[in-house]
Amino acid sequence: MKSKYIIIALITLSSLAFGASDSAIWGDDLLKDILGYDKKGSLHLGQYFTILQSTYFKPLFFGVLFGIPAIFFIHYMIIGPMIFSHDRKRIYVFSVFNRMIHTIAGIAFILIIPTGLIMMFATTFGGGEFVRVSKEIHAISTLLFIVSIIPMFFMWLRWMIPSSDDIKWMMILGGYLNKRKDPIPAGRFNAGQKMWYWIATLGGFLMIGTGAAMYFQDFRLDILASNGISQIDFLRASAIVHNALGLVVLALFLTHVYMSVFAIKGAIHSIINGYKEEEEVEILHSSYYKELKEKGEV
Amino acid sequence: MSENARLKFYCDEHRCISCDGCSVACAEAHELPANINRRKVITMNEGIFGLEYSLSIACMHCTDAPCEQVCPTDCFYIREDGIVLHDKDKCIGCAYCLYACPFGAPQFPADGAFGVKGVMDKCTMCAGGPEETNSHKERELYGQNRISEGKVPVCAAMCSTKALLVGDSAEISDIYRERVLSAGHGAKIQPYGWSTAYGSKI
Repeated sequence: MKSKYIIIALITLSSLAFGASDSAIWGDDLLKDILGYDKKGSLHLGQYFTILQSTYFKPLFFGVLFGIPAIFFIHYMIIGPMIFSHDRKRIYVFSVFNRMIHTIAGIAFILIIPTGLIMMFATTFGGGEFVRVSKEIHAISTLLFIVSIIPMFFMWLRWMIPSSDDIKWMMILGGYLNKRKDPIPAGRFNAGQKMWYWIATLGGFLMIGTGAAMYFQDFRLDILASNGISQIDFLRASAIVHNALGLVVLALFLTHVYMSVFAIKGAIHSIINGYKEEEEVEILHSSYYKELKEKGEV
Repeated sequence: MSENARLKFYCDEHRCISCDGCSVACAEAHELPANINRRKVITMNEGIFGLEYSLSIACMHCTDAPCEQVCPTDCFYIREDGIVLHDKDKCIGCAYCLYACPFGAPQFPADGAFGVKGVMDKCTMCAGGPEETNSHKERELYGQNRISEGKVPVCAAMCSTKALLVGDSAEISDIYRERVLSAGHGAKIQPYGWSTAYGSKI
């Protein structure tokens, strides 16, 4: 009886050893990928990746990193922040759980975004140990991101479904181009916040998946092999998606920070203590305010 | 060697007997860790009668080296003689060079954080790295620097059938042409040579 288990354990262990030695990149598949090189049937992702990474990604990230804050600076100078009365009542909008999850996600973003940019502009930082450490921080803080976006996805999902208000909000760019206090069509979350939510959650899942693929590199996924996609092409696709989506995440993150810290005076307090000024809700989330009024909650 | 010589490898597919001597010689000479194969012997059209042949591949030291183009730390440099080298002190092990390479030449030893992947290692055409030539550090990081001593890279030196050729690309193609002509029957298969990694079309 005992010897049977020992044999099973040995077979299992030896299969692990074989699995480990058979690389998905440098093993038998290497030949297929070279054969695919420059021939019909190859995905040509190596060439696409080379062109994108060598000429486009870095200038695009540079443009977003400095261009968007520049636009906001001009907006702040010309139009200025929205200021709402702090004399009226306050409305409780974010529960303790909401704020806790948001804080974890916030810390994750504050770690992930700068370290990602350090890798993108690694030449400026001279490469080496500093960038290597940043790369590890970028990977490890993903764990914080994972634990925050799963509850975040579910806790706000029901308010994030697109509605007719969103189109109207888009048409007037959320009313940020003037200082008039017209009621802006938006529910509990406006179209901009919804956009950020979907990019941060669904886009976030995609970022985690592609990032993990690049981090662990040499592994096998049956679903890829059965669809004729080689591991190396999967990694190339991951790098392209990760960088392209990273641009969008960076742009929206900068917008999110500007809106909460600068564009709407005091808006950041709602995610710290949970309360929004009544006037702020009445103007910026007019549909939600109406709803609350009908329920008699304000 | 002419003025603007570019050093290249070429493996004569009519001569390679797939003995793996080149990769063993490479691993031994540079004391490479297990799972790092700077050089590898591959067999094309395996099992197809008349079309099967073997080749030894490593870093091809491409003229338009895609690895050099995509590296976020800019750790690659191309010597005047065309040898593509990189600086391991700058490398962060992101593997972008591997994604760009058509041949899977960049290797990653499992010595990074959590044993995932460390900094990149690849064929140096036995020309070391940016450290002081033949210094202890250069030897530790990149292996032997045979080029500085006027020696042929160890893989080509060790090749028993002299299939693996290395040197000025113009001279290499002369040798290959002479071999094909003297064989009498011409080249059985189209020589696989290329000038650039990418660049034909997209």
